[in-house]
Amino acid sequence: MTGINLPAGDAPLPPEKPSAPAAPAAPAAVAPAAPAKNPYPKPVYSKKAGNLLKTRLWPTERWAHPWSQAGYRTAAIQLTVIIGGILLVGAVVDELAGWGDLLYRYLLAGTALLHQEFSARGIPSGPLADPARTAAGLRLGAEVLWTLFKVILVVGVINVNGIWAVWWERKLSAHMQSRLGPMYAGGFHGWAQTILDSIKLLLKEDATPADADRAVHLLAPAVVIVPAILAFAPVLFGTELAAARLDMGALYILAVSGVSVIGVVMAGWASSNKFSLLGGLRAAAQVVSYEIPRIFAVVPIIMFTGSLDLVAIDKAQSGYWLGFLPQWFVFWFPAGPLAFLLFLIASLAETNRVPFDIPEAESELVAGFMTEYSGMKWALFFLAEYAYVLLACFMMAVFFLGGGAAPLPFLGFVPSWIWMLAKAMAMMFVFMWLRWTLPRFRVDQLMDFNWKFMLPWSFAVVAMAGATLLWL
Amino acid sequence: MIESIAFYMMAGVALGSALLVVTLRNTVHCALFLGLSLAGVAGVFGTLGADFLFASQILIYVGGIAVLMIFAVMLMGRTSDLTLRQVNQEWLAGLLVCAITAVGLWRAAKACLSATASGSPAASTRPLGRLMLGDYAVPFELISLVLTAALLGAIFFTRREAGGRK
Repeated sequence: MTGINLPAGDAPLPPEKPSAPAAPAAPAAVAPAAPAKNPYPKPVYSKKAGNLLKTRLWPTERWAHPWSQAGYRTAAIQLTVIIGGILLVGAVVDELAGWGDLLYRYLLAGTALLHQEFSARGIPSGPLADPARTAAGLRLGAEVLWTLFKVILVVGVINVNGIWAVWWERKLSAHMQSRLGPMYAGGFHGWAQTILDSIKLLLKEDATPADADRAVHLLAPAVVIVPAILAFAPVLFGTELAAARLDMGALYILAVSGVSVIGVVMAGWASSNKFSLLGGLRAAAQVVSYEIPRIFAVVPIIMFTGSLDLVAIDKAQSGYWLGFLPQWFVFWFPAGPLAFLLFLIASLAETNRVPFDIPEAESELVAGFMTEYSGMKWALFFLAEYAYVLLACFMMAVFFLGGGAAPLPFLGFVPSWIWMLAKAMAMMFVFMWLRWTLPRFRVDQLMDFNWKFMLPWSFAVVAMAGATLLWL
Repeated sequence: MIESIAFYMMAGVALGSALLVVTLRNTVHCALFLGLSLAGVAGVFGTLGADFLFASQILIYVGGIAVLMIFAVMLMGRTSDLTLRQVNQEWLAGLLVCAITAVGLWRAAKACLSATASGSPAASTRPLGRLMLGDYAVPFELISLVLTAALLGAIFFTRREAGGRK
């Protein structure tokens, strides 16, 4: 899932060596100073079986171990190995692509040969007789495989995002409050914390209240997470880099991501708990209300581009004014920046994050609609929340921040997916920043803010965009 | 082949869950199945290659109307909602009305039965927009006016009731 293997519990540590074999050329030039004191106590192994007898280490610290060995040379070697590994994987994938073409040709030739053999012996060879049909079948098979591969990639994005964003949020909130946050698991700033947390969540008891509507209670997390995964289908991860190119991609994302709230309401009702029910009702009212200004904030972008296709929206922002000012829609005065602000606020509300997190307000509703969930079902709610945060960030990057376009023309050599990811991560930082800065709205303030401020201004933004198009 | 399998699956989802909406006893389950039925209709649109209709159906019906329906059921819910039968002794009359409506619909739809939509997704958003704001601009605006009037009327009636109770 994440490419990180937990060491088995009884695997022996390699004997401690100073570092990799020293280069024989200049042993005297880099006289290794006294090695830095190892902060961890030495583990004790059994001489016979080689397994760990006594240790005061957590299993995770054995990972931390090689990293904590001081020395620039060790660090350099490890960095080289990592970068080399990435390059090697890239090269292998590139090579495999060539092999695929070769395999396709071999399969075609093979079936033709088989057909020859069969017809020579008078055996009916069925669909092999027509090479065009065989080729079409092979192409269909390849397409099915490729689609499955893309689905796995997109689900992987959502999973990795959950792990990364939870860790990042914990670290950010901690540093904003003069704490350290997770520091222990994995070594560097507790980077493995969420991975271990998710293992813990997998092992936790899955409790259902005795009075709950079992079927609805069971289905609710699925109804929340499935639209979150579906909504990622047309999301652009770089210029023209998407799992599916849809003609109405923008509308599709907005439509499918609105379905999740049914799951939230289901969770709230099925738990047979007043806090859950209140949370579910609040979520329904809030999400349905804020969806309207959110969609209207995208309308100026669609008007500027003349298309609902995300690729077209991305391409429309690739130029520069006066040779250096990027033509991102956020800079299209006056509709662009206003629409961006409205979309940001409405996205915060749609993803139920502070200051709009009244569906799960801890101080009022315990945990809102999630009160009666535990273990992996609870984790699915969180996974969906962070998937929606990522979705909103990618949408802001594509709609307003130029997508895969570089901020300055001479930076065009950097691949577009890096820009896209950087913009999305910057927006995610804004999401977290706001969450740990602002207090929560009251329910009536929240609704007033939507209907009396957001909605009129979203209409105004559409009118401004129309005026811009008319007179420019 | 694959398209027709998907089409019949979606049609089955829409019809089956619509049947459950009117037969189940638990009102909340009925509301949830209504959402599923509307999603099935969206799926039918999708398998027929009408991608814009698919997205609008999901956006307005599943993400909007079904949610509001579930919201209303939960807000107005009584305990009897969970166990009360949906049919009373007038079921025969109801069935007759349904049968007559079905025959009328069948007659109206008969003309279009032989026409099959191509399952391939075509870029339909742009021509649809041009038609709605070009050739059919007047009916389109009229419908918007009617909807606005309905909205205003709803607000007017609910407000007056609330004021009267005070």
